[in-house]
Amino acid sequence: MSTNNLLGRRNFIKGIGAASIAIAAPAMAISEKTDGVEWDKEVEILIVGSGFAGLAAAIEATRQGAKDVHIFEKMSYYGGNSAINGGLFAAPQTPMQKKEGIKDSVDTMVQDQVNAGRGIADVALLDHIAKHAMEALQMTLDVGAEYHPYLQQLGGHSVARTYQTTVSCGAGITQPLLEECRKIGVHTHNRTKFEGFILGQNDEVIGVKMHDNYYFGEDQPGKTSNIRVKRGVIMATGGFAQNIDLRMSQDPTLTAEVGCTNAPGATGEGMYQMFRLGAVPVHLAHIQSGPWASPDEGGFGYVSNYSIYNFPHSIAINRLTGQRFMNEIADRKTRADAELNCRDAKGDALPPILITSYKDSKKHPNTKKVIKYNVGWKFDSIEDLAKHFEVPLTPLKQQIGEYNEYVKTQNDPQFGKNMTEAKGKFIEAPFTVVRLWPKVHYCQGGVQINTKAEVKDSLTGKSIKGLYAAGEVTGGIHGVSRLGSCSIPECMVMGMTAARSIMKA
Amino acid sequence: MSKLKAVLALALGCLLTLSAQAIEQRDYHKEVIGKDCKACHDNGIKQFPSDQACLQCHDVDDLAEQSARSEEDKWQNPHNNLHYGKELPCVECHGEHVAKKPICSNCHTFKYDKHQE
Ligand SMILES: Cc1cc2nc3c(=O)[nH]c(=O)nc-3n(C[C@H](O)[C@H](O)[C@H](O)COP(=O)(O)OP(=O)(O)OC[C@H]3O[C@@H](n4cnc5c(N)ncnc54)[C@H](O)[C@@H]3O)c2cc1C
Repeated sequence: MSTNNLLGRRNFIKGIGAASIAIAAPAMAISEKTDGVEWDKEVEILIVGSGFAGLAAAIEATRQGAKDVHIFEKMSYYGGNSAINGGLFAAPQTPMQKKEGIKDSVDTMVQDQVNAGRGIADVALLDHIAKHAMEALQMTLDVGAEYHPYLQQLGGHSVARTYQTTVSCGAGITQPLLEECRKIGVHTHNRTKFEGFILGQNDEVIGVKMHDNYYFGEDQPGKTSNIRVKRGVIMATGGFAQNIDLRMSQDPTLTAEVGCTNAPGATGEGMYQMFRLGAVPVHLAHIQSGPWASPDEGGFGYVSNYSIYNFPHSIAINRLTGQRFMNEIADRKTRADAELNCRDAKGDALPPILITSYKDSKKHPNTKKVIKYNVGWKFDSIEDLAKHFEVPLTPLKQQIGEYNEYVKTQNDPQFGKNMTEAKGKFIEAPFTVVRLWPKVHYCQGGVQINTKAEVKDSLTGKSIKGLYAAGEVTGGIHGVSRLGSCSIPECMVMGMTAARSIMKA
Repeated sequence: MSKLKAVLALALGCLLTLSAQAIEQRDYHKEVIGKDCKACHDNGIKQFPSDQACLQCHDVDDLAEQSARSEEDKWQNPHNNLHYGKELPCVECHGEHVAKKPICSNCHTFKYDKHQE
């Protein structure tokens, strides 16, 4: 393959970009060369996106000596997916693991993720992230984030290594991070949408086009300004799970009818713009569905965290058969696929149920919420439960009996579930129950980065100067299936890494 | 309250009238603001009001107090909520001329009986 040719094509694309700018209205912004650009403003570091990655980058850059850091957010509110996230944060060798006597290591955490990645995860990046995860956790503690006093063992993790904020939500991290940003002088701008890059003579990113007065999903006039950046741009624009066209172009089964846990702004145009520059698209078709979601509420709601906490000591039951149909703590893809197979005789969706002993479920604050808000139910007897969900009683009773044997013997011959966390937790009345149905949740794909958070140019094989990316907008780190609670450390560590790289460049 | 009075004065003193009369308006806004479109549309009639417009009269701390919930549900207070604190712009949940659902309903089944669509 001739590199020359490819470069020729690239220049051609650039030519079109410049031409269309000259003719079309500024709303059709496309990355362009500096020639003739009038700068409206200059900043030291410009961060696009205000989730974990953007906020951590801003704080770290300031700690490293940056004086003029700006975060731009297109929505009217800050935080993206991070502000509605479940607040679950995995890290190896933490103080709480020490306290609970849990043996863990960077290598073990990486290996768990490599397994779920089914051979195509980026081991170097996973290793970098696991090594720095504790630093990221520490940053959240420094700014005042608070965590439940216990660890959880999430699906696909071989040990309990997951912290969770006391509010069981990522907002327990984004709110203090945002507050810290403002305290240390980071400038935050909402309703301002990134529209494209401005390149220097050597194809380096030297500025961006930003559209102000932006109202998501509405047609409002606004001004596009050219902002020059002294050190560089950090793209932290998150995933694209809410962009139905794009997700269906990757996976046609993810139609508008499939529920989605993401914030409305997860539409991916920041990623597109990096592709236009030449960034390498990785694993875009690997879009993860959350197996803990409920068809009885929108998005992530209350049930998701309820089920995540309860899966280890619960049974998931196919309502047609009254039997288990999966390892309740397998990785997400395994479970989501298994749930989608739960169908009635006509082949219509028959959301399976998760049955938990109330004595165990009530330890998580969300149990009260799911019952109160009618998205989960409590039953005093197995008969009531079976009748309510029209589950055949005899096989259900038999299944519970068998499963309780597995709890006793600490061995699940039926689905190979790791029974450590289920120890002593027999399935007994009274029960709490929720319904499960997967929702589109996370984009494993995005732009390729290296362990410095630099974005690789597909044509030159080198990093694009002046450009860094962190968080869900990047791709390939987790491979086929990301493990729960591994995005927060990834977003934060890579945001911090981008800041360190930019200050050294 | 003095802010409210100021707006009232503004509304009465201004002779601007609507060309299209059939615009939806809340009753209490009819009384206080009348037909002074610019009282809210501070960026021009064709544009949405700025995120500060409502705050000329409404105080977010007062609102948060009025919509406070019990301790265990305290973060479901729409005016001081878990995800965005007191920073969520009013127009995310309230539309003067169009019906809007509270943003919480994207993910939750909370009931806000006093919320006007
Ligand atoms: C409901 C839910 C629960 C989750 N729970 C967990 C969990 O418990 N643990 C875990 O590890 N992971 C969890 N995840 C995954 C994790 O939360 C996300 O991967 C993570 O928040 C992504 O962070 P980010 O900083 O990359 O992007 P985001 O937090 O999504 O932030 C990106 C921001 O960029 C903005 N933006 C996008 N385009 C533009 C543009 N053109 N101009 C300006 N701004 C733009 C967006 O509006 C958004 O605010 C969860 C995800 C969801 C949706």
